[in-house]
Amino acid sequence: MLDQYLFIFAQAHEDFRIPELRSIAELHQFPIKIPEDIDVKRPFAVLGLEKEEHARILARRCILVKHVYEFYASATSYEELHEKNRALHARWDKYAADTSFKFFVAGFNQSIPQRRQKDVVESFSYMDFQGKIDMKNPELIMGCFEEYYDKQGTMRHKHEGDGNFREVFFGRLIEDGSARSLVQKFDVKKRAYYGNTSMEAEISLLMVNQTLASPGKVVYDPFIGTGSMAYTTAHFGAFVFGSDIDGRQMRGKENQPGIMRAAAQYGVAERILDLGTFDVTHHPWRCGGFLDAIITDPPYGVRAGAKRLGRRETPRSLRRPISAPSTPRPDDQPYIPPMKLYELSALATDLVLLARYLLRPGGRLVFFLPTVTDEYQEVDIQTMTCEGMELVANSLQDFGVWGRRLVTIRKTTSQDYPPPAFDTAAAPSDDVDGAHVPAHRHFRQKYFQKFRSPTEGDEEGSQRSLSEAIEQVAEDNNLP
Amino acid sequence: MVRLITHNLLACHAKNCNTNNFPLQLKDVQVEQREAEFNPDFLRGFMPRIEWKALVEAAKQVGDTSLPLEQPEMLDDEFLKQLHHVLLEIHIDEGALVCPNCGHVYPIMNGIPNMLLAENEIG
Ligand SMILES: C[S@@+](CC[C@H](N)C(=O)[O-])C[C@H]1O[C@@H](n2cnc3c(N)ncnc32)[C@H](O)[C@@H]1O
Ligand SMILES: [Zn+2]
Repeated sequence: MLDQYLFIFAQAHEDFRIPELRSIAELHQFPIKIPEDIDVKRPFAVLGLEKEEHARILARRCILVKHVYEFYASATSYEELHEKNRALHARWDKYAADTSFKFFVAGFNQSIPQRRQKDVVESFSYMDFQGKIDMKNPELIMGCFEEYYDKQGTMRHKHEGDGNFREVFFGRLIEDGSARSLVQKFDVKKRAYYGNTSMEAEISLLMVNQTLASPGKVVYDPFIGTGSMAYTTAHFGAFVFGSDIDGRQMRGKENQPGIMRAAAQYGVAERILDLGTFDVTHHPWRCGGFLDAIITDPPYGVRAGAKRLGRRETPRSLRRPISAPSTPRPDDQPYIPPMKLYELSALATDLVLLARYLLRPGGRLVFFLPTVTDEYQEVDIQTMTCEGMELVANSLQDFGVWGRRLVTIRKTTSQDYPPPAFDTAAAPSDDVDGAHVPAHRHFRQKYFQKFRSPTEGDEEGSQRSLSEAIEQVAEDNNLP
Repeated sequence: MVRLITHNLLACHAKNCNTNNFPLQLKDVQVEQREAEFNPDFLRGFMPRIEWKALVEAAKQVGDTSLPLEQPEMLDDEFLKQLHHVLLEIHIDEGALVCPNCGHVYPIMNGIPNMLLAENEIG
């Protein structure tokens, strides 16, 4: 039998909450029961676990967990709550005699006036706790949480509707989430080296948890850029390989590569196994089957254009003759070899095939896929998986008109597969009758056509990307 | 960086260079030793992927002859510690990796190998 625990989540990245819990439970090999009808938008969830120790593990590793309580009861009125709680007296009798304690009362989406907080605490007086009240260091913390409907955007007085909550939860604190402080630790702005493609700390941490990173595992980022996910991955003990087509992204301007400087700042330099400059579609890996995970934010033509070595497929008449370099070039020079654009859906398909080759059985591929929000369909992700690769999670980070999905795929096969041919032409073409065209196909063109002008009240995310988009247009005009 | 574990995983990938393209030869290398944390489980898990002869040869070239010529079946602690040192603690920071087959030179600068191909080497 599983016991029930009340999870209270940070008010962010709702779609990532459950995948994160499931991943960390899988990493530590314990069961977690998540109700099928769970509403992931709510900041409270009652989940089943075998033991308190498992709740603590989750609180220490999950970025989105703020607190975990032993769940006592929930109700839509205090009357009902107290009735349920009285029936549970066997659970709390043992604390009554001499345990120091405190009651914590809070509202979500609405604050509770001081006066009524006191009333709520007093309404539990039948529990008859005799221990001393200790606001600083109690042995026991009982929490009571009123969840209100989100009234954002509507005008109302601060405490209007006080008491008209959606549901009230009651329980005993097991542990406060401690992994959230890592969001500060890995803050990009405080990093010794970063660039305009750096991934924000919180998302980098959520990505790592999807990889099941732990000591001794080997994780690879084939589009490593300035290395944002390398640091968080190494933080959890894993070894990291990284590569990028553009050596300058990894090196920065000083002699010691920027990624190594930032890694040293976090005390994980020794876990960055190696970095290499190459186009992942022409990679030098001798064999596959040696990685536990691939973690990456692929270029998708908005932030940092997807490029690959090779001539752009422009009509012959438009091509300018370029003297082909016959010797390799230094990778820290501002020389950009002729590259053709890499269409996003082709890139995603190739990435899954590459992962099937490079991963060990059971290994995971974790990457972002941008999509146009109102064109997205569930099948879009399915079009990318292939034999031996299975979808584990798919979480949307919503920027309004567009969003990006954090996709987690597991290698289920133990069979060896050949490396992909990176033969873009083999991808199903748009013209094929009846074939499903995923919403991320030609994302780049759609982005430029549809989202050129910022709309009113645009979210920070889409505005930020818009300025990057404009930069990208400038960059593209310089391409050979 | 360019540790011997990585050297053991890289092959020349120039167009039509498919045989005798591994291991890459070490040329004019500058080597440094840096301590790394010992993780026997990691080493055991990685053993099946190692090309043993290439590893022994590369270690010899950078002055380490601690490894047995044949891959041992018994992975005792003493052996794993030697393997750990060879795979993870020897860093090539400067120099080049050269393909024994086509002669392609992959330069290493500040520990990062440049594995980019020239335009005429892409398949
Ligand atoms: C979105 S950025 C990744 C940013 C990275 N997560 C960071 O923290 O900076 C994509 C990266 O892919 C690289 N890239 C683009 N095309 C590539 C290719 N064909 N092979 C390898 N890297 C490529 C770009 O140079 C860029 O650094
Ligand atoms: Zn070669």
